[in-house]
Amino acid sequence: MKIVAPIRQLDEIAALARAGADELYCGVTPREWAERFGGASANRRPGGNLPSLAALAEAVALAHRNGVQLSLVLNAQQYSVEQIEFALAIAHRYVDMGGDAVIASDPGLLLALAEAEPELRIHVSSVATCRNADGARLYRELGARRLILPRDITLDEAAEIAAAVPDLEIEAFVLNDGCVYEEGSCNTLHLPGALGGPICLDRYAYAHRHRDGRPLSAALAARLQENDEAYRRWLWYRFSCGFTTTADGLPFGPCGLCAIPAFGRGGIHALKIAGREGPPERKLASVRMVRRILDAHDNGEAPAAVMARARGLRPAHEHCATGFMCYYPEVVSRASEAAQPLRDGRAAGAQ
Amino acid sequence: MSAPLGFLRRPSAPASASVAASTASPPSLAALPATGVAIAVAMVRPRALEHLGADTPARAAFWSATLHDEALAAWLAPLRPTRLRVGSEFCERLLPEPAQLARTLAEASVAGLEVCLLTPVASPEVLRALDALFALLPPGAEVVVNDWGVALRLRERHPLLQAVAGRILCRMLKDPRLGNPQYAPPAAHGFASPWTRRLLARLGIARVEIDLPLFASADSFAGVPLPLGVHLPFAFVAKGRMCRTAGLAREGPERFAARPFCHHECLGLAARTERTRDGTHDAWETLHVGNTVFCRHSAANLATLASAVAAGRVARLIVPGETL
Repeated sequence: MKIVAPIRQLDEIAALARAGADELYCGVTPREWAERFGGASANRRPGGNLPSLAALAEAVALAHRNGVQLSLVLNAQQYSVEQIEFALAIAHRYVDMGGDAVIASDPGLLLALAEAEPELRIHVSSVATCRNADGARLYRELGARRLILPRDITLDEAAEIAAAVPDLEIEAFVLNDGCVYEEGSCNTLHLPGALGGPICLDRYAYAHRHRDGRPLSAALAARLQENDEAYRRWLWYRFSCGFTTTADGLPFGPCGLCAIPAFGRGGIHALKIAGREGPPERKLASVRMVRRILDAHDNGEAPAAVMARARGLRPAHEHCATGFMCYYPEVVSRASEAAQPLRDGRAAGAQ
Repeated sequence: MSAPLGFLRRPSAPASASVAASTASPPSLAALPATGVAIAVAMVRPRALEHLGADTPARAAFWSATLHDEALAAWLAPLRPTRLRVGSEFCERLLPEPAQLARTLAEASVAGLEVCLLTPVASPEVLRALDALFALLPPGAEVVVNDWGVALRLRERHPLLQAVAGRILCRMLKDPRLGNPQYAPPAAHGFASPWTRRLLARLGIARVEIDLPLFASADSFAGVPLPLGVHLPFAFVAKGRMCRTAGLAREGPERFAARPFCHHECLGLAARTERTRDGTHDAWETLHVGNTVFCRHSAANLATLASAVAAGRVARLIVPGETL
């Protein structure tokens, strides 16, 4: 499996390659794009892009000199016709630079790219929210070479898709940055923090009610309050445990390291580290973490040992035990179920 | 909202007089009677279908009780619904069981309604479940697809059913926190792209559906290559696969995880949501139902839709028949 890591500035490239990344990805917002369409529309991360096509060309060259590939992200949820034409122009320049792949979500852009640059590798972004084999097969027929699965997918589903469409590479999230809503079904912007940030982190107060107008019973109100509190705890984990790290700088937060053995069995081709907008140290630490666990797996270490190694990376086993920090919490559930007999019949039937 | 939103500012933001949130007073719904447009009613669990086929006053009472908007209820009431939409666009747990769908087909037939099946973004398990449901639908029945994989499956395995591109496939910025049209990035439906048109044709999609943009204008309905359905009075803002409400039914590591399990708590519960941040004022009322955030359109935005209906740009209105 390959490790795919994000960059937003040139000086990250050599360090991430040395740390064990196999592929890198970046966005670009040329000044002309910002002038025509605004800075927020090129892709989903207005603060995490290279500033110019010249910088992109330099990034491609640097990546290749360091033995890694560099993919270009053009994955806004939707582009206008004018934006697709502009994006095609960027893609032509990128091909001339020797760029390796474009990551796209908008099916219109995807078709346009496949027609205009048939030799260019197209990776379907997680923003496309493709989580079934028929969708994967359609994208393959349209010219895609890789599908990046969305975050909210199970290991079994990932393996089923990989098995059903063997000529499409499958990439799955392994570390950092959890969305609450599905990226392809979230029609909002990541506002500046002072204005609320991502909508899922914004300060919304919930006034629960019965849809038919009946008043809530005290018992139900209490259950809803407990659920809200549990949700807020989950949210803290989902957003990198309050964006904290270990003393050594290893990031907490959404993590699929324990799932690497399952990814291997399931035919997953690449492991995605998210967080284009994060600081360089975080990206570097993330690549090192994934490399360490992936090397253990590749060296034939038993799955249980790989999982133990993954949990041992950060001295916070209580975080792992909650399952709230997991991209694939069924790993925790299964480990727990294997460790002790089920006591609750309803919970056993729940899944 | 000033400096921090500079990155959103459109250099050539049109100062369109038709923007719904502009200071100009739009015509009211009452001034633009809904004629020449069909109406479809969406219900996760259909019941009391007789209200839909009743006379105008009874329908007005139904819409008023369901939507809590007297003006909108009066505007919709003259239209006799012709189509019942069953299932869910947002949640794989809300697909009907085959027996439920069979019952609904029979009841809808009695009520003189055609049935359209709503389908969500699909996991492999959902795809398998859909095959059994598709098999129950009569030839020509509509299926709203919100997943390209579902569209392909429909085309390949159930070619006698009619695919409709749902609003989740129509990506459009709808952030209820952006109350100033100057800062709202362009929100076009995207179906005008020739490449998207080719994809729609390839998949045999014959109709498309959209939410109203938050700042709708006459342009919002232009360039659609197929008959257009428009949802009202709510736009969906965001949906997760994770469901906050389902957390009531779950515990342990997967309380808020992707693997679906719940007792359909969302059918009975919803939440009005309001930002508690100082100095922020959302322009749209927001509510949270199950895994989805919705916002309610302003009267001005609905009036813009009414103008589009009057101009013949909308083939079908789509209205929830259950209170959110």
